[in-house]
Amino acid sequence: MTKPNRIPMLPQAGNRQWSASVNEKSVSKSIPSDAVLLDVLRDRVGTLGVKRGCDMGTCGCCAVLVDGEPRLSCLTMAAEVDGKKITTVEGLADGHHLAPLQETFTTYGGSQCGFCSPGFLIVASALLEKNNDPTDEEIKNAVEGNLCRCTGYQPIVDSIRAAGKILRDGKEATNPTDPHSNPHPGFKGDDS
Amino acid sequence: MPNNLAEAMEVAGRFIAAGEEFDWIAGGTDLIPNYKWHLNPKPNVISLANISELNQLTRTHIGAMVRLQDLTENEEMHPLLATAAGSIASVMIRRSATVGGNICLDTRCFWYNQSEDWRQSIDWCHKCDCGTEADCRVIQNQNDLCVATYQADLAPALICLNATIHLASPNGLREMPLSDFFELDGMKKNVLNRGEIVTHITLLEDSYSLIGTYHKLSQRETWDFPEAGIAATWDGKSLSSLKIASTGIESIPRDHSEQVEAAIESWNGSQSIDELSESVRKSVKPVNNTGFQPSYRRKMVKVLTRRSLKQLGIK
Repeated sequence: MTKPNRIPMLPQAGNRQWSASVNEKSVSKSIPSDAVLLDVLRDRVGTLGVKRGCDMGTCGCCAVLVDGEPRLSCLTMAAEVDGKKITTVEGLADGHHLAPLQETFTTYGGSQCGFCSPGFLIVASALLEKNNDPTDEEIKNAVEGNLCRCTGYQPIVDSIRAAGKILRDGKEATNPTDPHSNPHPGFKGDDS
Repeated sequence: MPNNLAEAMEVAGRFIAAGEEFDWIAGGTDLIPNYKWHLNPKPNVISLANISELNQLTRTHIGAMVRLQDLTENEEMHPLLATAAGSIASVMIRRSATVGGNICLDTRCFWYNQSEDWRQSIDWCHKCDCGTEADCRVIQNQNDLCVATYQADLAPALICLNATIHLASPNGLREMPLSDFFELDGMKKNVLNRGEIVTHITLLEDSYSLIGTYHKLSQRETWDFPEAGIAATWDGKSLSSLKIASTGIESIPRDHSEQVEAAIESWNGSQSIDELSESVRKSVKPVNNTGFQPSYRRKMVKVLTRRSLKQLGIK
């Protein structure tokens, strides 16, 4: 059997100095000039909250805020965001206090295995930053680029809606142990 | 990373003179996944991200580096373009992806857009043959033509709005109607020469008097490429202004003016709508290289065309 022809290794790219503000800390690293932002954040900066999911832009696990706008770090060249303000999921909490969104994700079951949560939190925080009273439709449109294999999405939508309410009223929205939706719509009991 | 167009052309000219291979990178949402799967990667990429000249967006001028999400959110933009741009991929991809990148989208094929190991297991294909001169996996025993499918959503909408595309290369500038930009070859894709880029797309102010629709067949409502897409426009009064274009079916987006002209010669209400949809269906020849079966995609071309014409209020 003949040896398969593999694509020859591409030449190693030269290094360049890269600096940015990651979670309000300025960092300066020497990175390969063709590096992808996800690799830089995970391997050089050490923000491991940014997850490598599909690495192809499908799953949204690698979302980070670049100047307040959610972007897929797996499809962004690091050189393009040089000097910009980057926020990862680590930057959402205030010290030991969880952000309202993180709080509701825990109480409403928006996070189960947790792998996709950083992406959802980043995207949802950008949504609530612009509009703290989103409709369910707006929430669904905002998270259309994120995949979750555990929750079935409804708890995530509930969490984001509840976080919006906390941001508006400054207090917990409803008792999270209340049922969020009627499990048997249309069923009114025997006597009706 | 060049900072203006002249600098970009100079860098490209230098690579061409040195005989080095390179790619342009705009948003990177098409190129970076392809590079990660080792689909024809080049040793150099030139980023267009810093070229502010390409970011201009007005009613009649759409820069190549305008993000698709900006096109969707711009209220002055033609509603057809906003709809077509809004149907592309997911919101986060649209924030990175650019108009120029969407027009120059690499053609896609079930046998090509796969990981390196997967492709090695089928002994490669014609589009990325790794020096083996492999045959096309879709059409057996031929390695002359690549039949990968062109799956950009913006192209048919822009063709229907009579857009003009403007190109720049180290040798100068040129422009042409968008329908002349594409070439029927999954590997060459378009008329761009080495070192040439799309700078912007212009629309006539008259195009804003047209009303249009875009209908797309895809596996899921979000993220997926069109398996078939039909755009149609007319001015609301005269049938002679009707234009239909399709995407996601062959290696180029098609302008169906020929079928439209034949149909409006003897127009006869809803019966003609059926006949025109049938002739558009007959004029396209999808091959088996995407998620859905080609016969189904072809049938859906008829359905989407009929739907578009009815939505436009054509009687």
